[in-house]
Amino acid sequence: MRVDPTYLSSLTTSLDQTQSSLQQLTSELSSGVRVTSLSTDPVASGQNVLLLNQMQQDDSFTQSSSLVKGQLQVADSALGSVVSQLTQVITLATSANNGTMNSSNVKSISSQIAGILGEITTLANTSYQGQYIFAGGQTSTAPFSTSTATSPAVTTYSGDENINYLQMPNGGKIQLNVPGDQIFQGSGSNSVFAALNSLVADYASGAVNTTQAVADTNAVSTALNYVSQQRVTIDNSITHLTSATDAVASEQTQLTAAQTTLMQADYASVSTQLTLAETQQTALESVIAQLGSTSNSLFSKI
Amino acid sequence: MGTISSALNMMSQTLDADQSALNIVANNVANANTPGYTKETPTWQENDPILIKGTLVGDGATQTGAESQRDRVLLERLDQQQQLASASGSRLTALDSIQALFTPDSGSTSSTAGDIGSDITGFFKSFSSLEADPTDSSLRTSVLSSASTLANDVSSAAKSLNEQRSGLDQDAIGVVSQVNALTGAIAQLNTQIQSISPNADAGTLEDQRQLDLSQLSQLIGINQVSTENNGLSITTTSGQLLVSNGSNYQITSGSVSGVTHFFVGSADATAQLASGGGSLGGDLTARDTDIPNTLASLDQLAYSITTKTNAQNNAGTDANGATGAAVTSSTTGAWTLDIFSPPPTLVANTSSGGTDVSGCAAAMSAVMTDPDLVTAASLGQGTGDNSNAIAMASLASQTIVNGQTPTNFYSNFVSTLGSTVSNVQTENTAQTASVTQLQTQSNALSSVNLNDEAAALTTMERSYQAASQMFAILNTVMASVLNLGEQATVT
Repeated sequence: MRVDPTYLSSLTTSLDQTQSSLQQLTSELSSGVRVTSLSTDPVASGQNVLLLNQMQQDDSFTQSSSLVKGQLQVADSALGSVVSQLTQVITLATSANNGTMNSSNVKSISSQIAGILGEITTLANTSYQGQYIFAGGQTSTAPFSTSTATSPAVTTYSGDENINYLQMPNGGKIQLNVPGDQIFQGSGSNSVFAALNSLVADYASGAVNTTQAVADTNAVSTALNYVSQQRVTIDNSITHLTSATDAVASEQTQLTAAQTTLMQADYASVSTQLTLAETQQTALESVIAQLGSTSNSLFSKI
Repeated sequence: MGTISSALNMMSQTLDADQSALNIVANNVANANTPGYTKETPTWQENDPILIKGTLVGDGATQTGAESQRDRVLLERLDQQQQLASASGSRLTALDSIQALFTPDSGSTSSTAGDIGSDITGFFKSFSSLEADPTDSSLRTSVLSSASTLANDVSSAAKSLNEQRSGLDQDAIGVVSQVNALTGAIAQLNTQIQSISPNADAGTLEDQRQLDLSQLSQLIGINQVSTENNGLSITTTSGQLLVSNGSNYQITSGSVSGVTHFFVGSADATAQLASGGGSLGGDLTARDTDIPNTLASLDQLAYSITTKTNAQNNAGTDANGATGAAVTSSTTGAWTLDIFSPPPTLVANTSSGGTDVSGCAAAMSAVMTDPDLVTAASLGQGTGDNSNAIAMASLASQTIVNGQTPTNFYSNFVSTLGSTVSNVQTENTAQTASVTQLQTQSNALSSVNLNDEAAALTTMERSYQAASQMFAILNTVMASVLNLGEQATVT
């Protein structure tokens, strides 16, 4: 049987192939990446795009949530202060209403309540990073202002009814704000500012119309309850946000694990393959050295 | 019965024959490494016997020449396989540089520049971030910077593809000029072979013709047809005549709407050459199929993202409270609050209702420079509203690109491209292996094996020695005859 006399050149071709697989394995080991080009694993490359997309969305939600959490907490503590201020107003009004106070004391209560009203207005105009948080979508201007031209004074709301939401990666929404008029100017007896302004007016002269004052005091407690109810919305959002952030964080861990499995090199198997390839290379080299030696030619024997 | 002098004659003939055979062996050894050289073996013929007084007497042997050891069927098979292998080889080279533009982003952290998939996510993600604080100017700036990253990466990928395309164009023109040179050489060899050796193998001329054919097979897909008097006709695989005996027909090139087309005679053979094989086939397939497919996907992606995000941004209120975005240019279709420059085909598509997206990827660029023009708020809402930012961010999960979300579209695109490359790789590996196998078979028959030559040399040498010895003995016998019993007159 005749054989291909150019076996040496086919051996060097094999040597080239071994060398290129060595190179591929070494680069996998050094970079830690298994899929270095699309054709290495087309399906994994496609999956990788989707996984990265999901991971980055989670990433962005985590960042956004820490940002909005601050805003929600500021809103919550502002409302907390409003509640304690209102409690104080009720205490003051109750003492004024029991008929034991002289007119100068009543007047002083009036001005104390007016002071509290001022503080509550400031709280209602709370801003976070330069944005008024109880102004709906009109966050660039302070939403509440009080005009003392009339008696009782009138507090007006210049914000709007806009509610912002933060979208979660799974598509759900978290409410980020409650418009100020919903909190402080609820309809009927639920309006904090109306009740407070009336109370201030009730006591301003020093003479107390008890029936009216009691009715207005009751209005303040109704408004207090109403503010507490609105505060629950904010608290719910904070709770919701915390649990969503936790869920996203654990999802991200899983996604990272999946992506690593998909794209990263398996060191154990790559090193084994590398050893095998090295052995093959050494073997090929010595075969070439043996066969290539001129003493094997018949010409050297004759 | 023969005479002593006829025996002497026979021996001198034998010495001649052996010498000529040794010459052939020497030539084999000399050409052991010559490309295309085919091993030659001496052919022997017994001389006609002579009838003397009713007895047939042998008349020695002559060496009638050298015979090249080749198998035409095997060689043609090898050429055909070579055409397939080099077609897939050159296509693979082109595809490799295409896929290098879309190297997967393996990092688990946020995007590294260059991966369009991450850019798409990053762009829509910047709107999600904006939801948290719609008036924050750093978040707005990051919308613009991610938009320009996306636009730059898409357009530079598209530009690279166009460059690769014109590179392949040049390659193809180079290949065609080599093809023309080779067909010219083959036509000349045809003429020589037909005049020198019309009935038998033409030896080294035939070697040269086979070498040219195998070079031609790396460049272009061909069919070989043997003609009378050892001539050869060559056609492309689709039948256009390239060589007919002594004349060859040039492949010419010309530009057809900006792309080089190739003509045989007056017929445009570009499509046939693309599917025909050889590196020309591979180049043309990559140029006319693979790159346009890739570009079309990128164009679609760019067109959809550009038009959808522009439309959504124009539907909102920006940080200055400005709304009522309006057309600013009827020639480009630009609006006041465009984030990306409008695609070049937008105006034509809008008036015709068409879906032409060509060139949109290369033209993609972010034109918005003022971060306040990003519209986070819906129409008629205060600047603190974030519902338009939510609408922008949710474009990422809507099926805005050919019925798929942008990310899914890109994911499918890279999978498809990767599969194409991987398929061509597998195909090329198989074809190359088959070429190697055929080459080995052909080498086994036609290559010079030095050990064989050493053995032949020894055999011929011995035969030569034997003939010389025979001659010496016959000479002694002849001397005895001449002397006829007289002592030492002739030695």
